[in-house]
Amino acid sequence: MKKTLLVIGREYITRVRKRTFIISTILFPLLYLGLIFGTGYITEKTSRKLHVALIDSSGYFNKAAVAQANQQDSSSYIDYVTINPDTLKKNYSSLGYDAYIVIPPIKWEEGAKNVALKTDKTYGVVPVMKVEGKLNAIWSTIKSEKLGIDENKRQILNQSNITVNAKNINDEKSNAKIASGIGYACGFLIYFIMLIYGSQVMMGVMEEKTNRIAEVVVSSIRPFQLMLGKIIGIGLVALTQFALWIAFIFIIYNITKASGSASNNVSGLVGSVQTVFTSINVPLIIFCFAFYLLGGFFFYSSLYAAIGSAVNEDMREAQSLAFPVTMLVIFSIILMTSAMADPTGPLAFWASIIPFSSPIVMMARIPFGVPGTVPWWQLGLSMALLVLGFILTTWFAGKIYRIGILMYGKKPTWKEMIKWAFRKS
Amino acid sequence: MTLLDVQQIKKYFATQKAVDDISFSVAPGSIFGLLGPNGAGKTTLLRMITGIIYPDAGTIIFDGKKFDPLKDIERIGYMPEERGLYKKMKIGEQALYLAQLKGLSKSHATQLIKEWFTKLEMESWWNKKVEDLSKGMSQKLQFVTTVLHNPKLVILDEPFSGLDPVNSNLIKDEIFRLAKNGATVIFSTHRMEQVEEICNHIVLVNKGKKILDGTVKEVKQQFKENLFRISFDAMPLNTNNDSFTIVRQNDDYSLVVKINEGHTPNDMLRYFLQANVNIYSFNEILPSLNEIFIQLVEGTPAARQFQNVTA
Repeated sequence: MKKTLLVIGREYITRVRKRTFIISTILFPLLYLGLIFGTGYITEKTSRKLHVALIDSSGYFNKAAVAQANQQDSSSYIDYVTINPDTLKKNYSSLGYDAYIVIPPIKWEEGAKNVALKTDKTYGVVPVMKVEGKLNAIWSTIKSEKLGIDENKRQILNQSNITVNAKNINDEKSNAKIASGIGYACGFLIYFIMLIYGSQVMMGVMEEKTNRIAEVVVSSIRPFQLMLGKIIGIGLVALTQFALWIAFIFIIYNITKASGSASNNVSGLVGSVQTVFTSINVPLIIFCFAFYLLGGFFFYSSLYAAIGSAVNEDMREAQSLAFPVTMLVIFSIILMTSAMADPTGPLAFWASIIPFSSPIVMMARIPFGVPGTVPWWQLGLSMALLVLGFILTTWFAGKIYRIGILMYGKKPTWKEMIKWAFRKS
Repeated sequence: MTLLDVQQIKKYFATQKAVDDISFSVAPGSIFGLLGPNGAGKTTLLRMITGIIYPDAGTIIFDGKKFDPLKDIERIGYMPEERGLYKKMKIGEQALYLAQLKGLSKSHATQLIKEWFTKLEMESWWNKKVEDLSKGMSQKLQFVTTVLHNPKLVILDEPFSGLDPVNSNLIKDEIFRLAKNGATVIFSTHRMEQVEEICNHIVLVNKGKKILDGTVKEVKQQFKENLFRISFDAMPLNTNNDSFTIVRQNDDYSLVVKINEGHTPNDMLRYFLQANVNIYSFNEILPSLNEIFIQLVEGTPAARQFQNVTA
């Protein structure tokens, strides 16, 4: 036991002291947030604004209505022109337009069906949709006027949308939207950490094997102790990283709250974060996250350790052997997206009970509310099975590891590795 | 009294009888050579003695008791053939870590490392990393980590491979010193000249079986072919006698002769004393271990064939 602690200590300290750990701890949340918000922001900013000339042969459109629409919506620009379509066809680009539209002679009661946006370039769906939206806005104003609906009545008509929010009567605080947001975030975080740290375990084992240090170390301790020490050490590194992130969030939250009165935007943000915090059970989620993070990590990383012990320095060998395991992790994330759609359904239930996928799927379900969405017995069963699962995989991996770490030469197949696991010592 | 007693141990792998019924014993304080061609089963044998793998059959008695890997591991130092160290770890910390794994306390280990580093002129290495060391330097470090915890039994698998003559001698001196201080050294090699120089006792294995066991002197006596070399001031006119047969005649007035069955070297000497020439030198030619090794191993296929093992 004392020696296993030594191994844990070495694995932990050498990793935490590395510059890459510090950098990744700071960069990962930024990248993660950047991935979520950045892509939306970039599409918003870089989408093309079409400058379109409009010729009306129906007689309903007029300069004032188009100008008003341009004012209300700046995502495209429409210019009402009155020139011959053939002249426009020749000159539209030299006049500074990206495209032109000719509204055919139509009757307002029948509606305008297809209108062509004529251009010599190819545009994406989004900028064309913006033009379409603007034209429809003008068109509906025209129709309202024809029907004698004034501005007041139109506003009343537009207010008639009903929004439906699911409320769990067992759990008044729960908010499905916030819950799915947090569920997704937790599921994906566990997914990333399992893959990243799992492959770290694999590489660590491969490094020990190819450096031949493994043989020196196993002349001092049991191979199982070495493997367990490595897995626990790296698991603690993952947990440290997670704890640092939690600390960051609380520090940033408190700083923004303290300086919140300064600006309306910030206090609005603090307010929305507070709604998030009050709608979920924060301590329970943090506890479960840590549990499923470690449980899932132990479950998969022991398999990765077994793979690392079986191959030589060739990274490709390791990857091909690790493929089925990695597929299981990726499959869990696919199950999660389906389970989120119906967090109390049978798929969500089974996927969050079976240890292969439970770390990701259960963690995605928990924010919906315990015991509202996830009864206590399900949580308990899932946790117990996960513990049982990782004890089993660790035992299995230990058997393979013990043989693999001293074997050099040809890469074994999974079939051979399973044979090793069941061989008597 | 023996420190290590290996009794009829066997280890079969799927396609190989790696170690097939080998027994030998090692006296305390001796330097024991385990010899054999590549793939003879030496490494498997050593791994069983270090407790890294378990024998399929047979027993190992260590220091009077049945070998218990969990407990006895701390009294054994093992340096495998393929050297292994953490490349990115600082040398001082690495030595400390490996020593602590052998059960030493941190302060005791630190003190011992400092002593060894001073002795082998490695003081400036403490904060360097292994990747900064040359092959010979990391070999030295590996040796230090192997013997640091003052093991009763030191097992060295090919300790001199990759070392230049100077460092080789350094390690050799340390091996002698260890034996003098009461440690027992087992080392495996296929470099016979080192064995003649260092070992008291040898065992030769081939294809998983022991084919030779004895002290270096005994083995040489066992394989001697009654060859003698005799030199004169001038070649005798008549060199035909019942007591010997000439194997080779050299240009420098010397002969290599084989004493015939039923005769002694004295018979030959008596003959030449009467032959009216002056004898300058006379000595027995003992086979070198290298020759014995080749003689024993030759004729068997150089590489072991794969076979089906049913056991």
